[in-house]
Amino acid sequence: MTKKKQSIFTSQKFIVLLVVIGLMIVFSLISKDFRKYTTLLSMLDYSYYDVLMAIGVAFPLITGGVDLSIGTGMVCYALAGGYLIRFHSWPVGAAILVSILFGCAIGLLNGVLIAIMDLPPFLATLCTCMITRGLGSICSGSFGIPWPIANADNGWFHSIFKITLASGTKIPLGFLWMVLLALLMAFVLGHTKFGRYVIAIGSNKEATILSGINVKFYHVMAYVVCGLFAGLASISYANAIPTVQPGTGAGMELDAIGGAIVGGVSATGGYGTIIGTLLGTYVICLLKTGLPYIGLQANWQQIITGLVLIGAVLIDILKKERIKK
Amino acid sequence: MKKKLLAMLLSTAMVASVLAGCGSAAEEAAPAATTEKTEEAAPAAEEAKEETKAEEAEAEAATVENIADAAAVAEGTAQFDGLTANEAYDFSIVVKSFQSTYWQAAITGMEMAAAELGVTYTAQGPNSESDIADQINMLNSAINGAPAGVGLAACDTSSVQESLSAAKAANLPIVAFDTGIDNDPDGAIVCTVATDNTAAGEVAATNMYEAIKDQLGNGTVRVGEVNQDATALNIQQRGLGFINKFIELATADGYKVAVTGNEFYVNACSDKGDEASADVIIEVAVPAQTTVDLCATAAGSIMSKEDTIAIFGSNQTAAEGVLSADGNLSVLGDKVVGVGFDAGTIIKDAVSSGKMLGAVTQSPLMMGYYTIYALTAAANGQTLADCPTDGYWYDASNMTDDLIAPNLYD
Repeated sequence: MTKKKQSIFTSQKFIVLLVVIGLMIVFSLISKDFRKYTTLLSMLDYSYYDVLMAIGVAFPLITGGVDLSIGTGMVCYALAGGYLIRFHSWPVGAAILVSILFGCAIGLLNGVLIAIMDLPPFLATLCTCMITRGLGSICSGSFGIPWPIANADNGWFHSIFKITLASGTKIPLGFLWMVLLALLMAFVLGHTKFGRYVIAIGSNKEATILSGINVKFYHVMAYVVCGLFAGLASISYANAIPTVQPGTGAGMELDAIGGAIVGGVSATGGYGTIIGTLLGTYVICLLKTGLPYIGLQANWQQIITGLVLIGAVLIDILKKERIKK
Repeated sequence: MKKKLLAMLLSTAMVASVLAGCGSAAEEAAPAATTEKTEEAAPAAEEAKEETKAEEAEAEAATVENIADAAAVAEGTAQFDGLTANEAYDFSIVVKSFQSTYWQAAITGMEMAAAELGVTYTAQGPNSESDIADQINMLNSAINGAPAGVGLAACDTSSVQESLSAAKAANLPIVAFDTGIDNDPDGAIVCTVATDNTAAGEVAATNMYEAIKDQLGNGTVRVGEVNQDATALNIQQRGLGFINKFIELATADGYKVAVTGNEFYVNACSDKGDEASADVIIEVAVPAQTTVDLCATAAGSIMSKEDTIAIFGSNQTAAEGVLSADGNLSVLGDKVVGVGFDAGTIIKDAVSSGKMLGAVTQSPLMMGYYTIYALTAAANGQTLADCPTDGYWYDASNMTDDLIAPNLYD
């Protein structure tokens, strides 16, 4: 076998792309409604926050950690921003900024707890997961908060994600931003000092410390990036969900973490790609959207998603064994 | 260590400063909002209370149809006439969650009743309506705390049996509100304060049927129903009330109906029919979790079918899921007749703009109010009859009606 052929077959990105295409073909063949453009639009609407969370959480995952606070965090930031708009007539732009900064702040807290105070990532972010769940209710006064709807005066932020042409055709602009952000973060991970150190921390933290790199700083920054993306996700969540409800969000991080792992981010750290993460998240989103369309009861969706994850982790293990040989 | 401490302080300060931004805002506004709500609610509740008793209500009934049986409501509330608390009781209340404004309205009602009667209560609830185990824990610790009584809105009516037996053994009265509990062998539940959910589902079916009956008979058509779960009795009753009433109305007009989708509802309905020969297919979707996005995907999969002419979302989450799916499909109010449940800004807007045909509203405020009255009466030792609360069909034409407007919470 030539070297080139081997690299294609061992590239998880390639396999995941095939899975995405395969799923789309299968669902389209079984359900004629799935083939409709509106179904694609719906799937994309509900995919952006998963994609943003997944891109963010890829960084802690690659350092060998995890961030469980992104799901409840995202809802908390959306509630805080929505509260300012609804009850204090803040301009939407300012509220968006608050949501994003709130995300960065929780990311910083996670980073400090993990990289400086040495708490295990699972525990630290489990705690911030609970904290953000409670904070969301406090910030919103326990009220469900709708962000302005698309045709309201201050509903312009919806057009970040979807625009309607004069002809009435809707264009999912958000997908373009997702691809651009994924390319940008892929560049950051693969071609900047920050990205390389993040990978180094995940593959061998001791060696990275010994080589004189300020590991604590870069480790904290990985969580800040994750928080930033959870903040961005909160905006796309407010775009997709009519009323943001306090107390929700737990479990949503698992779709994002699952997407990153399906996309080839190593569950034990040290390896991962952002393009893979983007594709992996779309596998999860396609399953979420497609399975109800082919008439499968929703519980099957969770079983199938679980099986897909097992498959992805097995590929990861096989890949490592092959490298060892 | 100093560095660690400094870093910790810095990040805490940063989180605190962000919180201060929205926190201080919340402090300023929250009391104002609550007072406003209570002030608004107090006369409204009084009004509603008087209305149900007074005969003027009969005249109103011509345009506003109360789904509750007027006699049953009168009987249920009459037992609390002149009630005073023998002691300053303290009650425990376990709600399904504080997830929606619906529960906030119920708490407002409880506050009013507690102030009138001079009793106190502590309300708690899990983070979401799916957290069944958390709610059982809360219920058990409430029972162990030996209050004068417990008010319970059960997330899963079959999981609370053991707790109910424990309450009975401790001679603790339980008032079920919002959701009735059908299986209570020990008789721990002394009173149920809830909307007649079967009737609520039926009124949704009746109004939807009126709007679509002209389209029946020209080939198979599909009617969707999105239920957020298949475990809570109130959702089951609404879902089945809708399906069975629809079957009854369509069959009376000579149409054949089949029910497909979620197994619970298919097996529990009066007649699941045969899909191949049906004139109307009722497709029931239940998402894996009670979230709006999963409800929206479930609704979207039905609404995008060519033969779908109507859809019913049986609570606030499911109805918002229907509206959310319509964001891309744009079929509601045009090709597809939408019917919702409960209120909230989004659903109210959809009804007033005609995107949704209408919705069924309950009286969470009166439910909370009479729960405290029932608990107090039970603690006094009074034997109680069930207390059904009001529920109304509302559409763009009657949203401002005096009986309806107070129940349309944001």
